[in-house]
Amino acid sequence: MKSASVIWTSMTLQMKQTFARNMFKFTLFVGPLLTTIVLGEMFRFSGADSFVAYVVLGSGIWSLWNSIAFSSAGDINRERFTNTLSIIFSTPADFRKILLGKIFGNTILSMGSFFLSVFFAIILYRPTIYVANWGLLFVALILTIAAFIIMSIFIAYLLTLSRKTTIWMNCLEVPFALLCGFVFPIENLPQVVQYFSWAFPPTWAVRLLRYPVTETGYTFTEALIPLLITMAVFALLAGFLYKAIFKQAKVLGTLDMA
Amino acid sequence: MAVIEVKDLVRDFTTGDGLFNRNKRTINAVKGISFHVEKGEIFGLLGQNGAGKTTTIKMLITMLAPTSGTCRVLGYDVFGQEKQIRHRINFIFGGEYGIYRRLSARDNLKYFANLYKIDKNIRDKRVDELLELVELSDRADTRVETFSKGMAQRVQIARGLINNPEVLFLDEPTIGLDPLGAENLREVIRKLQAGGTTILLTTHNMYEADELCGRIAIIKQGELLTLGTPQEIKSRLTPRRVVEVARDEITLEDAYIQLVKGSDGQ
Ligand SMILES: Nc1ncnc2c1ncn2[C@@H]1O[C@H](COP(=O)(O)OP(=O)(O)OP(=O)(O)O)[C@@H](O)[C@H]1O
Ligand SMILES: [Mg+2]
Repeated sequence: MKSASVIWTSMTLQMKQTFARNMFKFTLFVGPLLTTIVLGEMFRFSGADSFVAYVVLGSGIWSLWNSIAFSSAGDINRERFTNTLSIIFSTPADFRKILLGKIFGNTILSMGSFFLSVFFAIILYRPTIYVANWGLLFVALILTIAAFIIMSIFIAYLLTLSRKTTIWMNCLEVPFALLCGFVFPIENLPQVVQYFSWAFPPTWAVRLLRYPVTETGYTFTEALIPLLITMAVFALLAGFLYKAIFKQAKVLGTLDMA
Repeated sequence: MAVIEVKDLVRDFTTGDGLFNRNKRTINAVKGISFHVEKGEIFGLLGQNGAGKTTTIKMLITMLAPTSGTCRVLGYDVFGQEKQIRHRINFIFGGEYGIYRRLSARDNLKYFANLYKIDKNIRDKRVDELLELVELSDRADTRVETFSKGMAQRVQIARGLINNPEVLFLDEPTIGLDPLGAENLREVIRKLQAGGTTILLTTHNMYEADELCGRIAIIKQGELLTLGTPQEIKSRLTPRRVVEVARDEITLEDAYIQLVKGSDGQ
């Protein structure tokens, strides 16, 4: 009960604060619009299938990734500068639950970005929407969100160790989107790079999400099994890392700006 | 058992400058200090900017790991036994940071009440009482970002008292407060002490230290310079200085300045 309250209040207050921020309005509305236009123009003359799969879903996924992973990273950075990070860290509450609450809050807001992107793509380009299986698409979307949440937790843990959060995030944003095949198939990448793609859950989440739309490429189960395995690996890794990372954060003193 | 036990406490920071952090430098913030604080004491930690006061407090409140030495609160190690300590202590840092500026004062306090696992039944009442105590009841539901510096500081004070801590760490708590606000806080501190709370306080206000603290430690560049009651410290003033002011007019500030300066060999 009490731990649920830590997650719940961290989540609701996270959303309350985010709404109070002007930059967020940009990330929520303008970001998805720009992503959609860039992808839309790039794919304008390709077939209808890939348009839905890569523009409609692609920009949606990109926006989702951006807001889940980035808002969590941004929050850690902001809270480091306002010295609230080290303070919430030093309370009796489990820091994992605080972070989880924040990530949940960001995820709910990110869904807004996702649907806005899809909406922009549809009204701007009016593609013929064909979805072979809506039920599977829904399941895939839930699993995609779960995969991003796990990645976000992982990133949030690592970022407590470095004060240079913003640099890391800027280095990661676009490469990660390309590596995981958000906007073009990873088969277009060099073979060696593809091995790295396979290691990350979002790669499989994207494939899973595309199948119900196109019914080509990886089948649902072919994407589902690696997705669940990679998610489990990252979740376990995050679990193992937690103790070491937060011990190290106290040793390095990276939780606040002295 | 002493409530706070510090023995040969050391904390180093390694910082990296330049490309790829190549110019590594180690700062010895705390260089082996020892002291202990008994239950119900108000203990002052004084020293120049950069002396290592905040670093020491951060170790005591389980925020930072000691590099070496003993650092125990309520009989538990601050590094490794955080769980046993955290719900029984709290801390107040001077300044406007450390609270959520985009939330109201009440939301801030309620949130921290949750983080300190305070029962829902008593939470709202406690929050109201604390808002009353720091005289923010009428502004409780406006965002902290619209507050003046001193008002934001009061929210911090209320936050630090949210769990009725047995041990309270105060790092320049009166900074930014108007004279009345500062006097009110000193009143609160005295009341807490009367109720058995152990308090460790840093301040640059010597009058405040003299008035509040039962014992004082002065640290300089991470090392303990002197430790004793304000009276003892004042009486250590060397005769050279004493001829200038009448004995009973010697302030803690006089003693402090002479001690800190004197240790430079001046
Ligand atoms: N995270 C950190 N990384 C590097 N150096 C640090 C860090 N925190 C503190 N220091 C250094 O440790 C020394 C002691 O700092 P500390 O904040 O403890 O001083 P202080 O006594 O609280 O001073 P003040 O009166 O100005 O608050 C300073 O030299 C400071 O630069
Ligand atoms: Mg300080």
